[in-house]
Amino acid sequence: MRIGFAIFVALLLATKTAAPAELRFVTWQPDTAWVWEQAIRDFEARQPGVKVVREVGPHSSTEFHDLVTQKLRNRDVEMDVFFMDVIWPAEFAAAGWALPLDPFFPTAERQSFLEAPIQANSYDGRIYGVPVFVDAGMLYYRKDLLQKYDLRPPRTWPDLVRQAKQVLAQERDPYLTGYSAQFKQYEGLVCNMMEFIMSNGATLWNEDTLQSTLNEAKAKEAVRFVRDQIISAISHRGVLAYQEPESLALFTQGRAIFHRNWPYAWAVADDPRQSKVASKVGMLPLPAFHGQKSVATLGGWQLGISRFSRNPELAWRFVEHMTSSEIQKRIALYTGRGPARKALYRDPEILKKNPQFESQYETFVLATPRPRTPVYLPLSNIMQRYFSSAIAIADSDIDRLARSASRDMDRVLDLLRGRSQP
Amino acid sequence: MRSSQDPVWRFLLPSFVFVCVFSLYPILDSFRLSFYRMILTLPWLGQKFVGWENYRDLVTDPVALGSLATSMIFVAVTTPIEVLLGLAMALVLNESFRGRGWLRAVVLVPWAVPTVVASQMWRFVFNDRYGLFNYLLFGDATDRYWAPLAEPGLALMSIMVADIWKTSSFAALIILAGLQVIPRELYEAASIDGANAWQKFRHVTLPLVKPALLLALLFRTIDALKVFDLVFVMTQGGPADTTNVLQFYGYKKSFAEGMIGYGSAIAVVVFLISLLLSIVYIRLLGTGLMGKEGRA
Repeated sequence: MRIGFAIFVALLLATKTAAPAELRFVTWQPDTAWVWEQAIRDFEARQPGVKVVREVGPHSSTEFHDLVTQKLRNRDVEMDVFFMDVIWPAEFAAAGWALPLDPFFPTAERQSFLEAPIQANSYDGRIYGVPVFVDAGMLYYRKDLLQKYDLRPPRTWPDLVRQAKQVLAQERDPYLTGYSAQFKQYEGLVCNMMEFIMSNGATLWNEDTLQSTLNEAKAKEAVRFVRDQIISAISHRGVLAYQEPESLALFTQGRAIFHRNWPYAWAVADDPRQSKVASKVGMLPLPAFHGQKSVATLGGWQLGISRFSRNPELAWRFVEHMTSSEIQKRIALYTGRGPARKALYRDPEILKKNPQFESQYETFVLATPRPRTPVYLPLSNIMQRYFSSAIAIADSDIDRLARSASRDMDRVLDLLRGRSQP
Repeated sequence: MRSSQDPVWRFLLPSFVFVCVFSLYPILDSFRLSFYRMILTLPWLGQKFVGWENYRDLVTDPVALGSLATSMIFVAVTTPIEVLLGLAMALVLNESFRGRGWLRAVVLVPWAVPTVVASQMWRFVFNDRYGLFNYLLFGDATDRYWAPLAEPGLALMSIMVADIWKTSSFAALIILAGLQVIPRELYEAASIDGANAWQKFRHVTLPLVKPALLLALLFRTIDALKVFDLVFVMTQGGPADTTNVLQFYGYKKSFAEGMIGYGSAIAVVVFLISLLLSIVYIRLLGTGLMGKEGRA
């Protein structure tokens, strides 16, 4: 009996002292995995006795959100660090899930990051995440096809449609489609539609009056344009089920004239090993409607720390490492992701390898965040439903759909009224 | 005092505790939560008792009603087909022929594959560029390829096909068990009476396998009502919300949007519908069993 007890105590002590500190990082599978794996190994090498365990979740933002929030709801002490899409910090902050990082991440340090993602990570005067890379919607086009027909890259949406129709008519290639983008019913649909709507001078909702603006004429006009001029005219129906990878595959197979995607697509589309159209690809800010400004949805991913982490100090050291200049530079060099640190856009080595960053910088700086609110997810689900119903059915009643989506959104936005604290 | 000494209680206790902890408690707690307004991302609203408000919202929520209709269509189409296919498979597997054991194992494969894996496979099958479905239909004429998961009129049907493929064999398994208990003498007697194959099936097999058929129908109905994984992997509720079944909608509300009260109300409705259907079926099953006794 006493021997048993002694063994028990000894075991207890052994596990307490010998076990290396373990840090659990919930992430998705990145495109260029070795860069990220190397970064994690570097961290482990610099922090002897620390082991980073990666838990890989789904690629889709919508599905990844459900995984991470389920752990947070359950106050899972196992998860220390997680990736956050740019639309989540407000929600995670309000729910009390993300740890405020102000003591670790002083205002002075934030200045070296791009303004928009820092804004997106702030809520009620505190900061909840550190941006790793930024994304903004971009227009990719087939330089060779446009040159062949003596066309200049389009600056307006109607121009894009006209050019696509002309190329389609003259190429007579049944496999070619005019416009490939993300029109599946998921978060990416909101990003795509927001670019059309806001580049027509409209908005999704008014953040001051907390009222949906989707029922306004300009917003509906943009939705109608997508249905009649894009989906029914120059795209094939398959785009209604596409997320980023499928829509990019179509473009890299040489089967799309125009393509909307995030900046990472450049590295893929211009790589002869992965793309049939390498060196035939051009990239520009997205078109706008007549007399309006181009709008690129701000995307990008941040690292957050769980409020339930047992080891926030160590978690911070990991976040600090993964968002350092050194790692962001490597990510920019090898994955084509836009760094979140401003100085890297002037880094000669990065610019030599990714000359596109020079022209992208402006798009990144001007990229439009989706409205910041703790009820983003319910609003997004309403919008996804509305946009998908409006564009997937050729004779959809857009007026009725917009009215009912607005009403549903207003009900959700009403929940934010009368909140005691600012 | 007497009941605690009764050994029956001691044997029942472990399963009773198990059922209470893992079934009864979650169900009752869902009932409780469905009367509250609780939004995880807005903690300052607190957990407020709102009575029947969530249910009142539910019956006026066009999305919820739409997803209820979608679920019902899904159940109404898939379960009869699955049970009929299951019956056909079971009849074949009940005959004696070479390789029967092997075939029985093969038939169960779709059911043994995890649903998420099967869903992913069907997503590839229905892909608009390289899917097997299009290849079988149009061969190399890829310009004519369809995009079943992108068409509001076809997406739900595609998911139904995947479900039927996956679970017909489960129905077959249950029905096969029912077929195996039918005594051979009944068929011999029928042969002596000069019954042909159809008459034997109609007047011997069918009445005696009825309880198994109803059981298969019951299991499949309840499962189809709760379909979730196929939708989650294949369409995420789109396009145009046409595959947004009730269970997926409830999941979205509770897990993605953090609307615990409303999500619980949806879960309770799904539970009540399953319960109601179970009662109806079990009553039918009961008369089926009685009918069997009467004839035997």
